[in-house]
Amino acid sequence: MPDNTATQASAQHNIPHAMSAPHRVPKERYYDREFFELEKTRLWPRTWQMACRLQEIPKPNDYVEYEICDQSILVVRQADHGIKAFFNVCPHRATQLAMGAGSFPGGQVTCPFHGWRWNANGTSSFIYGAEGFAPECLRDEDIALRECRVEVWGDAVWINMDANARPLAEQLQPAAGRLEDVAIGNWRVKWWQETILNANWKMAQEAFMEGWHVMRTHPQLTLGAGEASPAGSLRYDTYPNGHCSFEGGSLDTDFHSFDVMLASSQLLADGLDAMAIERDMRVLESVRHKIGPDDTIRAAVAREMRAYNEGAGIPMPAGIEQQSLWWNGMVFLFPNIFYLPMYGNSLAYRIRPYNDDPEWCRFEVWSLTTWPESYPEERAVLRGRFDKDDTDNWPLIPIQDFSNIERQQRGLHVQGYQGHRLAVDWEAGIENMHRELDKRLARA
Amino acid sequence: MPVVTVLPENLAVEVEPGESLAQAAWRQGYHWPTTCWGEMECTVCAATVVAGEHAAEPATAEEEAAIAGRMPHFLRKPGTRLACRLRVLDDGLVVEKPGVRAPQ
Repeated sequence: MPDNTATQASAQHNIPHAMSAPHRVPKERYYDREFFELEKTRLWPRTWQMACRLQEIPKPNDYVEYEICDQSILVVRQADHGIKAFFNVCPHRATQLAMGAGSFPGGQVTCPFHGWRWNANGTSSFIYGAEGFAPECLRDEDIALRECRVEVWGDAVWINMDANARPLAEQLQPAAGRLEDVAIGNWRVKWWQETILNANWKMAQEAFMEGWHVMRTHPQLTLGAGEASPAGSLRYDTYPNGHCSFEGGSLDTDFHSFDVMLASSQLLADGLDAMAIERDMRVLESVRHKIGPDDTIRAAVAREMRAYNEGAGIPMPAGIEQQSLWWNGMVFLFPNIFYLPMYGNSLAYRIRPYNDDPEWCRFEVWSLTTWPESYPEERAVLRGRFDKDDTDNWPLIPIQDFSNIERQQRGLHVQGYQGHRLAVDWEAGIENMHRELDKRLARA
Repeated sequence: MPVVTVLPENLAVEVEPGESLAQAAWRQGYHWPTTCWGEMECTVCAATVVAGEHAAEPATAEEEAAIAGRMPHFLRKPGTRLACRLRVLDDGLVVEKPGVRAPQ
């Protein structure tokens, strides 16, 4: 047996609550402290993760603090518009240097405790009281802010705390290509907000890896079809590296009727303000009397969308309507990012553990869209943190999802629960994510 | 772009829209005293408006609270503003701030 296989096999043995039986997920993976600590040492510090969108740091000296479990990273826009990331700690006595988001006026990162300072590029610019230190405590290489790996993809900044990590593109492939095909790089923030959920981060995100919960969780979206609505209406794919996707439509298949298409889109515009937005509704409404005798509804929609976008100066790459994801779907990027594209827009999620607790998570939602080229680039700011059932601030669709997620987390602890049993046809993405997670946790 | 005159050195500091006087000075390489660099914690950047007050945006409640709560009272004067929060609308503002030095 080759050496690496032997190492892997023996390390695999050390994972508590590992995936074993096909289509089953041990329940402890969602609340066990030992498992959570293993994620903290073997997953998060060694995986590429989306730290912020480029729009959050448009100008030199703008920064964002990215928190993951007990780690904190500062992502800082440089004078040359490049990006650096630093471990967020003063080398003197451990003070966190900055919190939240903001900018460093004068390009100076200052420690609020004794006033040591760094340039935005991480080099030391001032050591107050240096004369009181032994010289070996103040060597340049120890005092400079420690850098963390950074790459940019999909209009976002990705970080990796592991200096030896493979490149981001390797981790994201092949799923990243699916999103590049629908022009992910053109998406900008329409709104962005978050909630805190009493559920494990994986439990929360698994709710979005399949679409067949729509019938019962979002009954309005079946437009009255109820239980007659088919569970298997989407195409599901799993990929290497833990990613998965589903998608719903293509130019080769047509909508059932114009009115159903229009009503479904209006539900998204009203109930979500994402995927289909008001602007799209005006175009979709205008299609009713433009469907020619040899047309499909989709062909007419694509044609009118293109005409509108060209007139408005909204980028729409040639042939993008051939991509089924342009019509409707989901791409999950391991470990914790989702995109749900539609018509040059996308809903997006990021899910992280919260408060160092396996049973809590922080759930962010973005509505992304493609703006006209002339649209001014403004700093993207979190609209707020709102309670999961706050109907003034959350649209109906996420409220429906959030309520199930917390009920699942409570259900895990109920006596007699045997762990998840997954649908082969519709929930393979969930199993695929867990198996990738085990691979990561097995690496010593 | 509005220009602010800074006494006693009689320096002319250009300020971009949306930028504070101290930020503009730091960006252009002036030395402007501070220890917190724009966090509204130290009040060391405070300057006194001596003329052209109409050219400055009024202080926000936050800035007034920082001056009242964090600045030693014997340093406060009528016309005291935090340069890290002082935004400028027009030419004509004159402030006094000892210790400001032109870019080297």
